[in-house]
Amino acid sequence: MQRLIYIRDLLRELVARDLKVRYNRSVLGFAWALVTPLMFLTVFFFVFKLALSIDIPRFGSFAFTGMLVYTWFQSSVSQASGAITSSRELIRWPGFTAAILPVVTVTTNLVNFLIALPVLMLFLLIDGTGLKSVILLLPVVIFIQFVLTLGLGYLVAAVNVLFRDTEHLVAVLLQLLFFLTPVFYDVDMVPERYRALYDLNPMVHLVEAYRAILLDGTWPSGMALSTLAVLSLLLMYLGQKVFVNLSYRFVEEL
Amino acid sequence: MVEGLGKQFRRYHADRPHTLKEVFVGRMRHLWAGERFWGLRDVSFDVEPGQIVGIVGGNGAGKSTLLRLIGGVGRPDEGSVKVRGRIAALLELGTAFHPELTGRENIFVSGIVAGLTRRQVTKRLDSIVAFAELEQFLNSPLRTYSSGMQMRLAFAIAVHTAPDVLLIDEVLAVGDLAFQQKCLARIMDFKADNSAILLVSHDIGQVQRLCDRALWLKRGRLVRQGEPEAIVEQYAAEMGDETKRTTPVEWPVQITPAGGELRVHENRFGSMELEITSVRLSDQKGRSVADFRSGDSLQVEIDFSSSQSIDAPIFGVTITTEDEQICADLNTAASGVSLPVVQGKGRVTLHFARLDLSGGRYYVDVGAYTQNWDYAYDHHWHAYPLRVLPTENGKGVLYPPHRWEIADSSRGKLPES
Repeated sequence: MQRLIYIRDLLRELVARDLKVRYNRSVLGFAWALVTPLMFLTVFFFVFKLALSIDIPRFGSFAFTGMLVYTWFQSSVSQASGAITSSRELIRWPGFTAAILPVVTVTTNLVNFLIALPVLMLFLLIDGTGLKSVILLLPVVIFIQFVLTLGLGYLVAAVNVLFRDTEHLVAVLLQLLFFLTPVFYDVDMVPERYRALYDLNPMVHLVEAYRAILLDGTWPSGMALSTLAVLSLLLMYLGQKVFVNLSYRFVEEL
Repeated sequence: MVEGLGKQFRRYHADRPHTLKEVFVGRMRHLWAGERFWGLRDVSFDVEPGQIVGIVGGNGAGKSTLLRLIGGVGRPDEGSVKVRGRIAALLELGTAFHPELTGRENIFVSGIVAGLTRRQVTKRLDSIVAFAELEQFLNSPLRTYSSGMQMRLAFAIAVHTAPDVLLIDEVLAVGDLAFQQKCLARIMDFKADNSAILLVSHDIGQVQRLCDRALWLKRGRLVRQGEPEAIVEQYAAEMGDETKRTTPVEWPVQITPAGGELRVHENRFGSMELEITSVRLSDQKGRSVADFRSGDSLQVEIDFSSSQSIDAPIFGVTITTEDEQICADLNTAASGVSLPVVQGKGRVTLHFARLDLSGGRYYVDVGAYTQNWDYAYDHHWHAYPLRVLPTENGKGVLYPPHRWEIADSSRGKLPES
């Protein structure tokens, strides 16, 4: 019990530190969690809606949902890859639990996600979608994404200690994956014969689930969601296994 | 309790691949290769609650590795460490500090990283701040603190964690003397509260004063353990051997101001990486002292030069009688004076406000040593005589200012002498 309270406090304090440090001395402060996706959104709207005239109703809410979900995933994983290598001092501290660091990274970005969420709600109200009772399912989807991201975070954080290329590779892959995730286009636009391959990206189903809940007000596909949950748990298991096995070498390699 | 502890390290090949690209282009075979060596081997000892155990040893002897393994950082390749209770460490101070956060925020982060819960930190906040003497600066960002202030804060947090086992690595040289005294008092409190304390120190005097037992590590092995006096003495003797070993076989003879000769392996020892080029004994007006009157002031000016850069050397001055009795033994490290990296020429001066020695012949020995006391850079032994003019006393080294007063009730007061 004491241990649990301690872990909670440690997590809270490290997340608070990350957030404070990130927004310290900037004029907009926490508003940056909003400003960045909104700036992207403006450009997307111009390019895809006005220039390329993609025909998606309520494009603002549609793209903003995808943006927020993917941003949380992308920033978490790319920051997690450097979570251990950039915390040399903490890792060498007797009694410090290194395994908390990827959790801190994912949680910090979750906070950013949650800050922007009310604005997304506002978008939904403005374009007349409104909020349906199925929104109560949102925490479940958020939880699944948390576990999925953390599992991947553990993996890249640990491997990056041995191979510093991981960090760069991960950054590129995340950028490519952005285009393979339906952020600014609809899944239906993907040609049928590539769908099987395309569907291998778990982020596709995650974004779809968020959209079902928020935009359509319907239950997300139970099949997709449970597959995601199982995949997340597997990834989590694998990730923390690799992490624990390599963690004994962190001190030597840093 | 530490049993048969061993830790292997890989001494990597220079061409060990560190990037994926190199692995892919076929140098996989070097990946895990590399000669292994033992950073620590066959180390076993117990520390009882309420005991302070000192660890001495040269650079790379494995002292810090040992503390880390006890602290659970890294995994031993052999043996085991059993620790009962909570560990706190003073290894590297201010590890979790962030310059942009305020003192208060940093206390919370560091305190929790060191093992306290939020409630515990909140309860001890005032006490921590008072200990660090930083009340007015609590809400300023840490980057506005001087390094001394940061050290004080780090130490204050560390000593407020109430550990069962306390690991201290070379940090007692923090801050001014008054603060050091406060830290030492705090450590003695821990001892009284039955904490087990492990102390790595280069200051062998400190080990002698504070510790109940001492361990001597040499190249990863536990050479001896036992009474601090005995261990420290043997360690100091070995340091002498190390100095003799590094002393060059031939070196030009140097003439001292008093006309004496300095010859290596006779009255001069050291690796000569840093050379003491001249030593002058003078009074406060800067005149050379030929005949010294007891109670006068004395300055020892040490000129040195080094062709390479030397990190934080220690300078020492010892005054002995002709029959090897030590009258004064001072060094920069013990006085809390730390030198920067030195290169080229420089001068260190030791000022004695007064020196109340009895009349007779003394020697002023001077030396420059590595920052860990591993060996001497240059040590001049019995090369600078100091003749103190006769004083009106018998045996004894001291001739302090004094007067007699004799009272006799029947005959009245005698004149004072």
